[in-house]
Amino acid sequence: MNFGIVVFPGTNCDRDCYYVIEDILNQPVRFIWHKENNLKGIDCVVLPGGFSYGDYLRSGAIARFSPIMSSVKEFADRGGLVIGICNGFQILTEAELLPGALGRNKGLRFICKYVNLIIERNDTPFTSEFKKGEIVRMPIAHNEGNYYIDDLSKVEKQIVLKYYGENPNGSLANIAGIVNEKGNVFGLMPHPERCSEKILGSEDGLRIFKSIVRSL
Amino acid sequence: MTEKVKLIYEGKAKRVYATIEEDKFIIEFKDTATAFDGLKKAEISGKGEANCLISSKIFELLTIKGIRNHYIKRLDERNMLVKSVKIFPIEVIIRNKVAGSMAKRLGLEEGKVLEKPVLEFCYKSDELHDPMINEDHILALGLAKEEELSTIKEMSLETNKILIEFFKKCNLDLIDMKFEFGKDSKGDIYLADEISPDTCRLWELGTTMSWDKDRFRKDLGDVEEAYREVKERVMNTPIESSARILIRLKPSILDAQGSVILNALKSLGYSEVLEVRVGKLLELKLDRKIDEPERIEKMCKELLANPVMENYEWEWVE
Repeated sequence: MNFGIVVFPGTNCDRDCYYVIEDILNQPVRFIWHKENNLKGIDCVVLPGGFSYGDYLRSGAIARFSPIMSSVKEFADRGGLVIGICNGFQILTEAELLPGALGRNKGLRFICKYVNLIIERNDTPFTSEFKKGEIVRMPIAHNEGNYYIDDLSKVEKQIVLKYYGENPNGSLANIAGIVNEKGNVFGLMPHPERCSEKILGSEDGLRIFKSIVRSL
Repeated sequence: MTEKVKLIYEGKAKRVYATIEEDKFIIEFKDTATAFDGLKKAEISGKGEANCLISSKIFELLTIKGIRNHYIKRLDERNMLVKSVKIFPIEVIIRNKVAGSMAKRLGLEEGKVLEKPVLEFCYKSDELHDPMINEDHILALGLAKEEELSTIKEMSLETNKILIEFFKKCNLDLIDMKFEFGKDSKGDIYLADEISPDTCRLWELGTTMSWDKDRFRKDLGDVEEAYREVKERVMNTPIESSARILIRLKPSILDAQGSVILNALKSLGYSEVLEVRVGKLLELKLDRKIDEPERIEKMCKELLANPVMENYEWEWVE
């Protein structure tokens, strides 16, 4: 399984993802600078978290116009796996690869903490290592994670992860992660790369990467 | 659609053609130049093209600034599509500094700054050599109605203000210029004719060096070069304008910032405040040469606003 981690100016979770994929899962992985447009040989594109373009204008609004994004779109259209974490999720909605939008947290604060999540779907390439209805723990770290869409019925079947118990950011229907209709593009606010080793308090995040590896 | 059907008028520097559409004319700019009532005549290569380009750009600027004029669009290097209007038999001259006939008539030094812009009127008649007339003549002879004349004066002064500023950006001093006005079937008044070095005196800013038809009138040489130079400067000067874009969360979305501000206002005793919505204001400075309103719409949709969460509205700002 070849992973490609896209790096935008302002991305800051790229190395964490790299570490998990290479050191923990022993999978081939490379960084892809946002100005490149070559995804040859890549099986899964990771859009990591951070503050691409300083979050200017809106989170993800400017990154979506980076040259690599047209390649990512083609890649996704061909059925390639794309996972967007936090800022990566925001970029995917801005790029209309995922429906809806991520607005400012209801409490107007940057939230950085562990949350409980419920697995709504385990029939995706990203969640096959989980059981449906299972409660997992992962950290969130964002200012704009308040998922919104005008008509919830449009995405109800695409919800993969929901906040369980407390809704930290006002997200519609407690949505924490969704896939596209085809199920090959996944966006989530929690950071699986930050909970992939026991020493960090949870290994639930690793199961997302393992699911991806297993899917191939 | 925009083809010349019939030559309806040929002047010293232009030809006017009828088109299939009754309300549209085509003006063709010629290279011929005349001065002193036709006594002096020559071909100046490139003049027609220069005047067509300069006039088009200036009419575009005036349209943006709200001065109603006959310009519709430029068809090519030499031809301009205009609204067909009935021209008043009056030439309007507006002067910012003393030059030409005013200097001669009043014995004043060329270049003397006038305390306020001076408006003069001439009766358009080749046989009579366009004699100067006053407002009473215009009204008494029925050349224009009182309201029409007052509109013409107002438009002349406003156009003068706009063009002084514009030419300054081209490093040109607008000394004086000549206008013609017309009216359409509804009686609306339009600035017509052309605005070019043939109808304006333009001096290099801060000097008395002519960049206009005076080079030809006074045999100052480099006439072709002068038209080319003015054309270059005018074409390279952006028509700057600003658009203000307001982006707000859709009404259906809770505006958390707005709620916090609302509470703060209430706690300060402003109980009359019912709701606060916080938005983003963007001000764009644009070169209208390349910009169309649809392009601003496109900018909003493509990048500036997120259609899922936000609404936008925008306006031109003066």
